Amino acid sequence: MNTPSLDSLGLWLRGTSVYRSIVRHGSTETNRNRSLIVFENLFLHVHPVKVREKTLRFKHTYWLGGITIVCLVVLVATGVPLMFYYHPSVPQAYQDMKELKYVVDNGIFLRNLHRWGAHLMVFGAFLHMLRVFYHGAYQPPRQFNWVVGVFLLVLTLFLSYTGYLLPWDQLAFWGVSVGTNMAREAPVIGDKLRFFLLGGNAVSENALLRFYVLHCVVLPVVLFMFLGVHIWRIRKDGGVKGPSEDAPDVFHEDEP
Amino acid sequence: MKTDSLKLRRVLAITSVIFLFALAISPAKNYFREYRSIQEHFRKLGTSRARSLKEAQAYQNHPVAINQIWMRDFDNRVDRCTTCHQGVSDATMAKAPEPHRQHPSTAHTPSDIERMGCTSCHNGEGLATVRADAHGTTADSASPLTPLVNIEAGCGRCHTTDVVPQAALLSRGRALITKAGCYACHSVRGHEQFRSEAPPLNSIAVKTGGEWVRQWLKDPRAMDPNSTMPNFQLEPQQIEELANYLFSRPVKLELAAAIAAASAEAPGDAVNGKKVFSESRCISCHTVEGKGNGSAPELSKVASMASRGWLLAFIRDPHAFSPETRMPRYHFSDSESRDLVAYFESEFKDFGAPEGILNPLHVNQTLAEKGAKAFRSLGCFSCHDPGQGTIKEKFGPDLNGLGDKRAASLDFGRRIDLNRTLAAWTTAKLSDPRSFSAGLKMPTYGFKGDDTRAIVTALLSLGSQPVPEAFHPSPGGTPTPIPGGAIGKLVQQYRCLSCHQIGTQGGDISTAPLTFEGSKVKRDWLVNYLMVSFTIRPILEERMPIFRIPRDEAEKLADAMTSFYVNPAIPEDPFAGRPASDQNAAEGQRLFVSNGCRACHIVGASGGYYGPPLTDASSRLKPGWTFKWLKGPQAWRADVRCPNYGFTDTDALRLTAYLETLRATSAQKPSGGKK
Repeated sequence: MNTPSLDSLGLWLRGTSVYRSIVRHGSTETNRNRSLIVFENLFLHVHPVKVREKTLRFKHTYWLGGITIVCLVVLVATGVPLMFYYHPSVPQAYQDMKELKYVVDNGIFLRNLHRWGAHLMVFGAFLHMLRVFYHGAYQPPRQFNWVVGVFLLVLTLFLSYTGYLLPWDQLAFWGVSVGTNMAREAPVIGDKLRFFLLGGNAVSENALLRFYVLHCVVLPVVLFMFLGVHIWRIRKDGGVKGPSEDAPDVFHEDEP
Repeated sequence: MKTDSLKLRRVLAITSVIFLFALAISPAKNYFREYRSIQEHFRKLGTSRARSLKEAQAYQNHPVAINQIWMRDFDNRVDRCTTCHQGVSDATMAKAPEPHRQHPSTAHTPSDIERMGCTSCHNGEGLATVRADAHGTTADSASPLTPLVNIEAGCGRCHTTDVVPQAALLSRGRALITKAGCYACHSVRGHEQFRSEAPPLNSIAVKTGGEWVRQWLKDPRAMDPNSTMPNFQLEPQQIEELANYLFSRPVKLELAAAIAAASAEAPGDAVNGKKVFSESRCISCHTVEGKGNGSAPELSKVASMASRGWLLAFIRDPHAFSPETRMPRYHFSDSESRDLVAYFESEFKDFGAPEGILNPLHVNQTLAEKGAKAFRSLGCFSCHDPGQGTIKEKFGPDLNGLGDKRAASLDFGRRIDLNRTLAAWTTAKLSDPRSFSAGLKMPTYGFKGDDTRAIVTALLSLGSQPVPEAFHPSPGGTPTPIPGGAIGKLVQQYRCLSCHQIGTQGGDISTAPLTFEGSKVKRDWLVNYLMVSFTIRPILEERMPIFRIPRDEAEKLADAMTSFYVNPAIPEDPFAGRPASDQNAAEGQRLFVSNGCRACHIVGASGGYYGPPLTDASSRLKPGWTFKWLKGPQAWRADVRCPNYGFTDTDALRLTAYLETLRATSAQKPSGGKK
């Protein structure tokens, strides 16, 4: 009884313009169709049309870069709701941390996801770089992407460090005191650099505001720009370099 | 290769399911939070206790939510305690199990709950909705709950005066702190000007002997149980050095001369001395073998403590020796003071004392120099001001903000037996300060039980936050000034404030505050009373001493009282503008009998001993005062036992009229002195 009517419903659904603007190329499982789907989609087009299963195996890349990117996605997803509950001001900041525990639904979960995600991202980025280094993937033609990667690592560390101040507890205060005092030891510009970072000569509300803006706006934007270049270069450079390729790298168009 | 893909998909499927479950943990934990089940329980309890269907429905419809009190006057703080303690102002919840119980009625509950919240008195973390955090049970909690035994510490956060009505323990603690002289070493807001009563040691070499000083330094309380000097637990070597130092100090010239002159006088008459001693009522402050008030030194061994010359010179002018002493200067004649000292020498001797206890010490300069150092390093100068100028910095740590210290920031040292709480730490610091580590300087006061609890309460009341502006005392409550000039000198000489209170100042020996004395008693009576004071309330042991005040001084004091210390709310003539029937003394007498006033007051030949006798009421009391007193005795002193009968104006006036008729015949007039 029901089957014919369901079929006709499906047929009608596939005919609507909303469906056709989302699923533009049908569901035919041919290589051509799959390529079309990837090519013509904004979100998918950074991916290669074709990936060797070998490169998806766990032993090849340990998925370290992927893990780092997933961490970044988690951090953005949790960071934005956290911004709803946080005021970067001296009397409020620490109270807001406590409010996450006391009144915000799932607040402590949000905060811990963000915190552990950040730790894992730093850890993942380091391991990813070690993997790349030991595979010799900093050699031409990937030398440019290696440099981009170094920038990404530094940005990740900066993000982690600026986020450390935001709870405005003793750890944060002394962490930032020590860090900015280290910056002061830089030759020639040391004092100016510290003043610039803190917005003053002491860790105070200005420092809190600066670190907040850096953490939530400036550094993420720069990070995403570099990340775009990074992934684009991976494609350009012929994808992941595996462990067994001892010889100078050969350009393989078909390898991701 | 197909198998690989399948395997990957399987891994993806399984991890996705696991991940989904992991994600569900947090909302589940959120849903099962403690306060929800507490509120659920409250709802059930309320429904079962409700007295009507409507009330029960109100409990049923109560939404599960976080409740909070916004404390505008306290820096816009927020207290969420009522999230779990839902029954604080709910009469249905009287004697319910915690956390639902109704708050007991106090001066601020239930009237001020919405204004003052909970943490203003109880401390604790007001924002927290988790029990452990709210109560601050961990050692690093910023604001642990004040233990209930010390709850009056909360009163003291805003009520910074020494005496806080309705907070007996706190007031007692603050009084004990003053008495023990803690403010001499520790700085506390509002007590910066504190001066210890300890003698300045400017005549010790001619006052007493080396052996006595040694014994005193070893344990002051063993020598005089009334001593306020604590035990410093000195080593014998230190005692020797300090004794040498004290005897090496130069004696003030005028004092030395007075003592030398006095010791050259002929001995007096001990029998007359005994009479003078009891007539002057020395034991209203001093004790003899433990009998007496105990706020001044024990006298039963005084002749083995100080030389004859010193005693004589001191009695004649105590204020020259010790400017801060509470001892008044009596108007003894030269022979009377000689007789007194003769009496001391005949009876108030330590007959078990070693020979030559009053022999002077031959100073060894090396020891004296070491002693001078010890005098400084032990902080002796904090109380015994050596007269080398004012002390700029307190010797001990600042106590302001003690009540808000985290337990984790305290040094427990060797006391691993203690609970890691501020109250436990403070209690141990008071009862055994040296037990924390070697080299600590605070001496042992030997506070016991309830005294310790009272002092801990007073110390915990020293918060780090200033009193909120809305709770500053109103300017109307300024203390009554003590007059300067000639009157001020007399008040100083007789040390009225050692026993009486004026406004917020003064001692606690007398039960009669002088703040409104001028509105209370008649001038002529006061003049006579000052010259020869007698017992007003027979039940009290402490009597006003007889200072032998000459008539002109007594008149000056009485005039000052009647002009300065009056209360405009007390009418001179309460009968003005009232119908004549209000002056019906016979009706007043009937009221006097029917209300049982005789149980406490003597009239004529019979009556009780608790209150003052009223046989001569009309020559002592002003009718305006009597009237106001009858309208509410507790308005003048909170601890007055005279019941408030709730008299109407007419009844109070009739009683006043009756008391106005009471006048003693000359035979009934009380006379000075103990017979």
